[in-house]
Amino acid sequence: MISVYYFGAISLILIGLYAILTKRNILKMLVGLSIMETGVNLLLISVGYVRGKSAPILSEGVSANQAVDPIPQALVLTAIVIGVATTALALSVAINLYERYKTLDVEKIRGLRG
Amino acid sequence: MNELVVMVIAPLLAGVLAWLLDVRGIKEALGVLGAAVPLGYAAVLYERAGEGINVAYTLGGFQITFALNQLSWFFIGIAALVGFTAVLAMVSTAKSSYEWLFALMSLSGVLGVFLANDLMTFFIFWEIMTFASFMMVLKYNKGASLKYFLLSVFGAYAMLIAIGIIYAKLGTFEFSAVQQAMYRDAYAVMLGGQGLFTKGETALIYLLFIIAFGVKAGAFPLHVWAPDAYSETNQSYTSFFSGALSKAGVYGFILMYILMGAKLTYEFGAFRSTTKFGYIIAFIGGLTIVVGGLLAALQEDIRKLFAYSSISQLGYILVGIGVGTALSMQAALFHALSHALFKGLFFLIVATIVYRTGKTEFKDMGGLAEKMPFTFAMAFIAILSLAGIPPLVGFASKWVLFEAVISQNLPILGGFVFFGSAIGFVYLIRFTYAVWFGQRPTDLDDTKDAPLPMAIAMGILALGNVLFGIAPGLVARELNKIFGREVIGGTLYVLDLGFGKYNALLLTIWLVIGIIIAGIVYFMGAKVRRIPVTDTYQAGNPITMDYNLTIRRNFFLPLKETLAFWLRMSFDRLYRDVGRYVEDLAETLRSYIYNGNVQSYAWYLAIVLLILALWGV
Repeated sequence: MISVYYFGAISLILIGLYAILTKRNILKMLVGLSIMETGVNLLLISVGYVRGKSAPILSEGVSANQAVDPIPQALVLTAIVIGVATTALALSVAINLYERYKTLDVEKIRGLRG
Repeated sequence: MNELVVMVIAPLLAGVLAWLLDVRGIKEALGVLGAAVPLGYAAVLYERAGEGINVAYTLGGFQITFALNQLSWFFIGIAALVGFTAVLAMVSTAKSSYEWLFALMSLSGVLGVFLANDLMTFFIFWEIMTFASFMMVLKYNKGASLKYFLLSVFGAYAMLIAIGIIYAKLGTFEFSAVQQAMYRDAYAVMLGGQGLFTKGETALIYLLFIIAFGVKAGAFPLHVWAPDAYSETNQSYTSFFSGALSKAGVYGFILMYILMGAKLTYEFGAFRSTTKFGYIIAFIGGLTIVVGGLLAALQEDIRKLFAYSSISQLGYILVGIGVGTALSMQAALFHALSHALFKGLFFLIVATIVYRTGKTEFKDMGGLAEKMPFTFAMAFIAILSLAGIPPLVGFASKWVLFEAVISQNLPILGGFVFFGSAIGFVYLIRFTYAVWFGQRPTDLDDTKDAPLPMAIAMGILALGNVLFGIAPGLVARELNKIFGREVIGGTLYVLDLGFGKYNALLLTIWLVIGIIIAGIVYFMGAKVRRIPVTDTYQAGNPITMDYNLTIRRNFFLPLKETLAFWLRMSFDRLYRDVGRYVEDLAETLRSYIYNGNVQSYAWYLAIVLLILALWGV
C-alpha cells in the first residue's frame, strides 16, 4: 500500500507537469512549475521520514538515534532556495516576454522558431 | 633510414618545403626532385623486389608496415613514372605553391598505398591520397571537389567498416596473416566445420570493398565524381590523377583477391568459367566501359572527353581482374600500365593545349597540328595507343585482355570489351580531327608549341608507349615474375599465349614500310587546297547553324538523339536528387521538431522521462 505522503507528493508533481504541458499562458505554466517544485520537495522530505521519530535537532531528551533522516531536509532547504530563485528569474523573463510580444500565450511567442 | 620509407616520405617532404619556401625556381626544383626520388629508388630497388623488403615502424600508436614485392614494385613503377612526368609538366602549369604541396602529397599517398603491408597503413595512406587530391580539385572548383569528397568519404567509410569486421574476427591487420586466416577459414568451411566468417559477413565485406575500391577506380555507377574532378583541376596533375591515383582502386581489387579470393570463391561458387564474385566485378567493369565510352563520345569539352575515356579504359582493367585467371590478371596489370602511359600522356597533351590556347572546347579548336608539331606527334602516339593500334602498348595489353576473355568463353564480357574498343575509335577520331586538322580559327594563329618541361614529360611517356609496345616482352617478363610462372610466353618482341601469337616487331616493320609508302605517295602526288572555315556545304547548300554537325560541333548529335532515353537515366542526377531529398527531410524534421514552442520542448522532456521510467532506469 503506497503511503499517503508519496501519493500526495507525486500527485502534486503530476498536476504541476500537467499544467506545464497543457496550459498556454506562461504565468499558468509558472504556477505549474511552482506546484511541481512543492511536490518534489514534499517527496524528498517524506523519503526521509522514520515513523515515530522526532526532528533531527540534538537537545535534551533527544539522542541521535531518535531523529528522522536529516539529509533530505538539508537537500530540500537547498531546493527551496533554488526553486524560489528560478521562479523569480522565470517571472522576470515573463515580464520581458510580455513587453516584447504583448502576449503571454506560448503559441504566439515564436522568437525561438528556427 | 629505410629505402621504402624514404621513397614514401620524400615527395611529401619536398612538397612541404616547396610550400614553405614559395620561391620561384626553388619550389619547382624541389618538387621535381621530390618526384624524382621515388622514381630513382624504384629503379634501384628493381633487383631486390624479387626477394622482398619489409619495414615496420611504430608511429603514434600505429604500426606502420611497408613491404616491397613484385606486385607492389609494378604499381610503384607506374606511380613513380607518371608522378614524375606530371610533376615535371607542373613546372609550366602550376600557379601556386599550394599545388606543389598537394600534388606531391598525393604522390606520397599513392606510394604508401602500394607499399602498405597491413590494412591500417593501407587505409591511412589511402586517406592521405584522397585528401591531397581533394585539395587539388578544391582549388579549381568547389562543386566538383565536394562531389569527389562525398563519394570518396563514402568509399572510405565502407573500407573502414570492412577492415573493422576483419580485425574484429581475426585480430590482425597484416596482409599475410589475414590471407592465411581467410584461407584456413575457407578450408574449415569446406570440410564442414564452423567458419569464422558466416556467408553473410563474407558477402558484406566483399560488398564494402567493392564500394571502396570501385569509387577510386571510377567503376559504374560510382564514377560520377571522375569527369568533374579530372576536368576541374590542373591538367598536368590530372595526368597523375587519372594515370596513377585510379590505379589505387585497381590495386585494391587485386588486394581483395589476394586477401580473400579463396574464401569468396568457396562461399559464392562458380559462374560459367569464372567465379561468381569475380563475374560481378567483371560485369561492372563491362558496364563501365560502355557507359564511359558512350558518354565520352558525346562530350564537347576535351577534358571531359578524356575523363570519360579514362573511366572507360579502367573498365577493361576491372574486366581483366574479374575474369580471374592468371592470364586475365596479367592482362589487367598490363592494361593498368598501358592505361597509365597513354592516359598520362593524353592529359599532358590536354594540359599543353589548355596552357597554350586557354580553350577547352572542340568548337574553338582546329588545325593545331601545324602550330604544335611536337605535341601533335605525341598526341598521335597517344591516340594510336589508346585506340589499340599496333605496335603501341595499348594494342599489346588490349590484345592479351581480349584473348583472356575469349579463351574463358565469356560472350557478354567479350561483347562489352569489343564495343568499348569500337567506341574508343568514335571519340578519338573526333579528338584527332577537331583539334589537330581542318581549318584553324584565326585566334589560334600564334599558338606556340609545348614548353620544355612539358615536352620532356610527354616525351618520357611517349617513349614508354612505343618501347613497351614494340617490346611487350619486357612487361610480360615482369608480370610473369609476379605469378612465379610463365603465363605469357614468347620473346622480347613476341607474345605467346599458347593459343595465339603477337609479333610486335614484325608489325612495326610493316607499319614503317606502310608509312614510307604512304609518305612517298603523299609527297609525289597530293595536292593541297586551302579552304576558309565557312566553305562547307551539305547537299549543295550552305550549312545553317540549327543543325550544324561539323566535327567540332555536336558531331555525335544523332548518337545522342538515339540514346536520349538512356541518357535520361543519369546516376549523377540520381545522387543529386537523393541529396536534395535528404536535405528536404532534414529541413522538415527541423521545422516540426525545433518549432520554437517552449511547451513542445517540455513535452519532449516529459516523454523522454516517461520512457526512461518505463525502462526502469
